[in-house]
Amino acid sequence: MRMAFVVLMLTLTTVGCAVDTASPARAAERFHAALAAHQEEAACAMLARKTADKLPDPGQSCADALRELRFGPGGQVTSVAVWGEDAQVRLAGDTLFLHRFTDGWRIRAAGCEPMGDLPYDCEVDD
Amino acid sequence: MRWLKENSLSLAFLIMFLLAVGGQAVAGMMQFNDQQAAEGSEPVSLLQYVTSSSFAVDVAENWQSEYLQFFLFIVLTVWLVQKGSPESKELDKAGAESDEDQQIGPYADEDSPAWAKVKGIRLWLFSNSLGLVMGAIFLLSWLAQSVAGQAAYNAERLGDLRDPVSWGAYVTSPEFWNRSLQNWQSELLAVLSMVVLAIYLRQRGSPESKPVGAAHSSTGVEG
Repeated sequence: MRMAFVVLMLTLTTVGCAVDTASPARAAERFHAALAAHQEEAACAMLARKTADKLPDPGQSCADALRELRFGPGGQVTSVAVWGEDAQVRLAGDTLFLHRFTDGWRIRAAGCEPMGDLPYDCEVDD
Repeated sequence: MRWLKENSLSLAFLIMFLLAVGGQAVAGMMQFNDQQAAEGSEPVSLLQYVTSSSFAVDVAENWQSEYLQFFLFIVLTVWLVQKGSPESKELDKAGAESDEDQQIGPYADEDSPAWAKVKGIRLWLFSNSLGLVMGAIFLLSWLAQSVAGQAAYNAERLGDLRDPVSWGAYVTSPEFWNRSLQNWQSELLAVLSMVVLAIYLRQRGSPESKPVGAAHSSTGVEG
């Protein structure tokens, strides 16, 4: 019975942990708010390091690269999925993928379009 | 000392289990962190790893298959026999056997467990308690595997910029069945090997083997 208890606890801890969906949602909204306010440098500071490194062309800054991409408005949050350290936030006008680092949620990919069951096609990714 | 000797089999397996699961946790964390580094993510601590869905699914998928193996072995050997195998009972004893053989009801001894002396649901429950508990642990472990597996699978899918899947979609996915069946096949082969090899091979002194000098054809004899 002890084993059954351990397995049950394993299930409950996996299922029962309260998932914080508000933090990644806020991070996604702040990213789009910065873009809407033409604060591309602030938006760049919210990107995951690999994403920020990959984004600019040679000789270009991250902010310039974001400016060129001309993101549309993000809009309201419509759904949030959090699994482990990764999250997907759907806004009315965009889908973003985020990762939780020690300093909080950062944007891994944005401007993403669904491609069926294949990976999303994103304007910005890592 | 006497207590240690009388419980040495359980204690040895408990210690080996703890060492193995501890080793799995450390090795699993190192492998996980190696992958994290390759993806540009931060490493996790041992505590974070052992409470992760990745560790939980690896543990649960092995547990469920082990308990399924024992459940099937316990229940099927009530009715199915194997000539010459010490894992089988004698060929003419297939089935639930008589109350007298099973020492229940009026045939119970003075020191028989209390529920072996009564009738009704309590006797039925106690008569099947080993199979029921093994079967229940199997189902709970398999459920835990499905829940933790969905979490680990979805974290991986989000990492690949793909949509997460529902529990229903996960338990019908190739990922879930590949994890389950690759464990089941090895457990079933191990039982088959034990049942058949023990007909012809011996391990002197082991109750899992026939006595060294027992005939290959003698069934239900343990040394």
